[in-house]
Amino acid sequence: MIYMKEASFIYENSINGAAVTKLNAQIPKGQAVLLCGESGSGKTTFGRLVNGLIPSYYEGEMSGDVFVKGKDIRRAELYELAPFVGSVFQNPKSQFYTLLTDTEIVFACENLGIGKEDILSRFDGTVEALHIKRLLGKSLFALSGGEKQKIACASVSALMPEVFVLDEPSSNLDIGAIWDLQKILLTWKAQGKTIIIAEHRLSWLRGIVDRVLFFEDGKIEKDLAGDSFWAISPEEFHNMGLRAYNRFAPEKKLKTGGHGKIGLKDFRFSYKKAPVLNIPYLEIPQGAVVAVLGDNGAGKTTFARCLCGLLKKAEGSLNYKGKLYVGKKRTTLCYMVMQDVNHQLFSESVLDEVMLGVDISTNTEKEKIAGEILSALDLSAYKDAHPMSLSGGQRQRVAIAGAIASNKEIIVFDEPTSGLDYRHMMEVAQNIHRLSSLGKTQFIITHDPELVAACCNYFIFIENGAVTNSGGWTSESIQVVADYFDRV
Amino acid sequence: MDTVLRNTRPTAKQMYLDPRTKTLLCLTVSFIMFSGHSTGIMRYVLPCLAIFPLIAFVILKKPFVAVYYGTMYIFSATVPHLMMDYCPPIINALFAGMVAIFTQLLPGMSMFYFLILTTTVSEFVAAMDSLHISKKFTIPVSVMFRFFPTIREEYAAIRDAMRLREVGSWRNPMKMLEYRLVPLLMGLVAIGNELSASALTRGLNAPVRRTNMCPIGFHWQDAVAFSFCLAVIVLFTLSAALGW
Repeated sequence: MIYMKEASFIYENSINGAAVTKLNAQIPKGQAVLLCGESGSGKTTFGRLVNGLIPSYYEGEMSGDVFVKGKDIRRAELYELAPFVGSVFQNPKSQFYTLLTDTEIVFACENLGIGKEDILSRFDGTVEALHIKRLLGKSLFALSGGEKQKIACASVSALMPEVFVLDEPSSNLDIGAIWDLQKILLTWKAQGKTIIIAEHRLSWLRGIVDRVLFFEDGKIEKDLAGDSFWAISPEEFHNMGLRAYNRFAPEKKLKTGGHGKIGLKDFRFSYKKAPVLNIPYLEIPQGAVVAVLGDNGAGKTTFARCLCGLLKKAEGSLNYKGKLYVGKKRTTLCYMVMQDVNHQLFSESVLDEVMLGVDISTNTEKEKIAGEILSALDLSAYKDAHPMSLSGGQRQRVAIAGAIASNKEIIVFDEPTSGLDYRHMMEVAQNIHRLSSLGKTQFIITHDPELVAACCNYFIFIENGAVTNSGGWTSESIQVVADYFDRV
Repeated sequence: MDTVLRNTRPTAKQMYLDPRTKTLLCLTVSFIMFSGHSTGIMRYVLPCLAIFPLIAFVILKKPFVAVYYGTMYIFSATVPHLMMDYCPPIINALFAGMVAIFTQLLPGMSMFYFLILTTTVSEFVAAMDSLHISKKFTIPVSVMFRFFPTIREEYAAIRDAMRLREVGSWRNPMKMLEYRLVPLLMGLVAIGNELSASALTRGLNAPVRRTNMCPIGFHWQDAVAFSFCLAVIVLFTLSAALGW
């Protein structure tokens, strides 16, 4: 089905992706292949060579041969490949073209001029096979990330291609949505489709993948059968820079004694008269790293926005060191590191970004404080760089530096490790440790068991807008959290 | 299976009109409102046109937009006239001119909003296809329909980020603009690039004739709207040419 010989590609603009050199691979019909490796190892580029975005969309220098179902991708136009190769991408926000689920599902069929009756029967078949009847007739902007991703799968599925290329489709999804995605892949596999999937999170692909290509520095380093790949030990996975699956076991314990308490009282918020958040009272040890756990839609994000004082109509007060903070006031105390950190970097250099928050009049004084913060976060070397030129982890650190500069005591992270490989995840954990040693209290909203294990020492569970469980790690609570992450 | 794709007639969501009719309405209202003068017969025609978006918003059950539009229009149409006598001429020259232009632009802009609100990407593309308008024009314009909500989402996120940093207050408007626009544009460019990659792998630029799965076609409602437009255009021509 796919034949790749000595294929190399260098992007003209290296921001677009990592170069690959001399890839050799033959993928027969019906095989499910996992592409893994660190970020920037060339997985995504491999996918783009298969779906023809290279060389049709991304410019650069290509050599070698790639044939997909007998078509030379160097000569084929994208629309010629579209009926054979369906692609699902990482970001659910940016891969729908119309506004309504129904029209989105048939979008590709319409483009290729398939007959009306045929399109309707394909539509019915796809909706049936992927179990998405519930989503019909809805605006795509009203869907969750997981639901958008299902529609993206349906839209390519309706074309009935023989090859599916998925580029980190689970990056922005929670655990429940990932299991739904797994079901979709199993459906395709049962239909005898060829599946090529680049991923960081691996455990959900066990049972789907027949073959694994491990990438390093733009080359295929290992070509393994599924069974021998899953036999590799978790330590070895980490050495390869991959995420591993372990039963949840936290590494950090809350230091006993000497803690002040942060008190949250009467946190309430309603949306269109339906209560979304209702927390009568909650106490958090000052300086703790709190994992905020719960399913999507349970109210975690509302909780975070309420805590940071971003919701105007939210009720509730926060007691920090004997001082009460109500409503908007909390923006002076709390800070949120957003999932898309690009939204919160405003300045032209890292130093400016940090100085923006320092509330002192003299410039030399300002610069001194900013310098100290930057060196504490290991950013001194980049102080004149443009924030957008840095890597994702570094950018996140710049955002954190800004928060420290404006004297924020409580820092909330919104899904800081979605779509990150092992090394970058550990980098985030490192950032969190640094903030801990500065005495900051942190809330981490996450679906990532490895991150919780590496840096959290307290947890709260949110269900239907209420905190149902909270505390430090005891043998019972570890059991509860481990079961939560393991449930299917 | 029950789906909008099986609809054979435009529904309440489309305000029972064909996209081509709506485009014509939009163009008629904005053109005549902008170039017509409130003299002769046009004195009665212009208010009729100005009321049109209001009726549309009421039918679409958008009470807030309707009230907002109504207030804005009444304000810009009356307040300057009332103030004219009491203000120094320099203020009148600057202020009144601006508000007058606003009075003329507002209905057109609202009609455009109405068009976006009631037309989906597929309907727009279908309508343009049936008028034999080139894909080179249709595709970029159709993306716009999808981009308005995206801009709103991105903008809300950036506003939150600014509030958290306590930066960009009105005290320094230039800085505020920069802090808002730079991340917004960066984000939109990235989304735009990913969107086109995804659309191209789904055959957006295929040279074949596109199938359109949405009901377009003319019914009696369209005939009414057409005659309305025609009447307005005729009256406008008479007024401009013969001074009616």
